[in-house]
Order: sequence, then structure tokens, then C-alpha cells
Amino acid sequence: MNKFYFILFTVLFVNQTFSQDKYLTKNGFVSFFSHSLVEDIRADNNQVLSIIDTKTGQIAIQLLMKSFFFKKALMQEHFNENYVESYKYPKAKFKGEIINFTSLNEDINETEIKGILSLHGEEKEISTIAIVDIQNKEIKVTGEFTVEVADFNIKIPSVVINNIAKTIKISFELHHKPYSK
Amino acid sequence: MKNNKFRIISGIFIFVIISLFLLLKSYNKPHKDIRTSKADLTLNAEYLLNQFLEDEDAASKKYADNIILLKGEVFEISTHDGNSVITLKNQYSDASIICQLIPEDNINALKLKKGQNVTIKGICSGFLLDVIMVRCIIVK
Repeated sequence: MNKFYFILFTVLFVNQTFSQDKYLTKNGFVSFFSHSLVEDIRADNNQVLSIIDTKTGQIAIQLLMKSFFFKKALMQEHFNENYVESYKYPKAKFKGEIINFTSLNEDINETEIKGILSLHGEEKEISTIAIVDIQNKEIKVTGEFTVEVADFNIKIPSVVINNIAKTIKISFELHHKPYSK
Repeated sequence: MKNNKFRIISGIFIFVIISLFLLLKSYNKPHKDIRTSKADLTLNAEYLLNQFLEDEDAASKKYADNIILLKGEVFEISTHDGNSVITLKNQYSDASIICQLIPEDNINALKLKKGQNVTIKGICSGFLLDVIMVRCIIVK
């Protein structure tokens, strides 16, 4: 009888079963979009590294600024050399938590992700709602949020001030798979 | 008098047109054609990897943005969202070199086999958990 209650307890209260403690992707997708009356600018990064600790719901994301691909080569050059100064600050990082991760179901969930975004040598607390699709073999985290260019000390020259939005939309789609060292 | 004025104005006009044309050309300049561009360096995958593992900052300053002709052993071939990715790795390290191919070269990725020696030309972006190369093509 005791054994039965134990099994019942486990089945009722364990919402997720993960094959590994850590889930990882090295091909996460992050893109940003700037809309202005003069032009729309968009860049994609397909080499985003992201790790989720399923025991705590902590998420750590890293990407190389130089991996952002712009359709216009000149724009990519300006972005790296003048705006984000990627030779000085090669990476952007996000360290945070998927709120209530351990109580999410193996399902498509909507929850908050909160943490610190480090970009261009500046740090800012970011909080956004994201879709967290949990399956046994894959955890997909999708969402979008906006950032103010000025918050990260990114200086836009007055010549192109009308080409680049003050608020940039950032989209992400990260498909994490079980990770074992 | 009027003739001179006319010449000056048309001269300035032509100058402005040419400048705008050159500006537009520069603005719309395409990305370097990886196939025709000459590699800045020719390296062994193992060597490049060790450079980053030893001193990531120094290696990043030295190799990022360079077109590198990389020779190494294929560890994995995969596709993500239409992009082919070739991972080069040897048995001694956890880290590897991740090479994302240009879409036009996806078809060549299918011909590769695990363990095969390959030469890849691409641009180095830096290092996260592995060395990251973008805009790659398979040379041999």
C-alpha cells in the first residue's frame, strides 16, 4: 500500500521528466529589427548558445556580435565598427531565469523570463513574456522584446539618426536539446 | 557670362550625380564573395582551436573577421532551419569548430562523411563554447 501511495505521489507531483539536467543549443536564433521612416534594418544570428538548467529554470544565453548577418555589407560593417564596437565587446550575454520553470507542464506554456542583458559593456534588467514549449527531448523558448539603443550606450551618428530606430525589437527562438558532457 | 554660369552649374550637377552614384554603390556593396576571395590564413583546425583555448581574447583579436582556409576532421554534419553546419573536432578536446555554410553550399554538405578530412573556407566570428566560423564553403 505504501509503495502504491509513493508511486501515486510521484506521478501526481512530477510534471516533467527530463532526460538530462541541462538542455542546450548552439544554433539558437536571435534577430533584431529596427523600423524607421527612412529604412528598415534587420540582422539575424544563427549561432546563439543557450543553456537551460532544468532543476532551477536558470537560462544562460551568449552570442557573438560578429555573427549577426545583415543583407547590406556596409551596414554590417558600421554595426560592428561604430555602433556595438564588437572588437571591444565581442559578445552579448543574457543571464536569467524562466519564472516557475519547475512547475511548468510538458506542454506549450507562456511564462516570464527575467534576467540581465549585457551588451556593449552595459547591463540592463530585462523582463519579457515567452513561450516555453516543453517536451521530453526538446525545450523550445520563443519570444520577443524591445530595447532602447541608448540604454546600452550605443551612439548613433547624427548623419544616420533617422535611419535607425531608438527602440529595437529583438526576437528569439531557441531549440534546446538534452546536453551531456 | 551666361555661358560660364551654365558650365559651372552643369559641372556641379554632374559632380553631384557622380557622387550620389558612388555613394549608392558603396551603400549597396555586396558581401565579400567567399568563393573568389583569397584566404587571409591557412590553418589546421586543431591549431586554431588551441589558440582560442589558450587565450580567447588574443585569439579573437587575431583571427576574428579573417577569411581562413581551415583543414580538419569532420565530426558532425547537421542542418538547422535550412542552414548546414559542419563541426570539426578531434578526439582530444570537448570544444570544436562550428562552421555554418552559405546556403548555396548546402548541397555539398551532403557529400561529406564523418571522420573525413575536409578543407573549409570561411570567416571566423570568435568563440563561445567552440570556435565559430560563418559564411563557409567546402573547398575540398
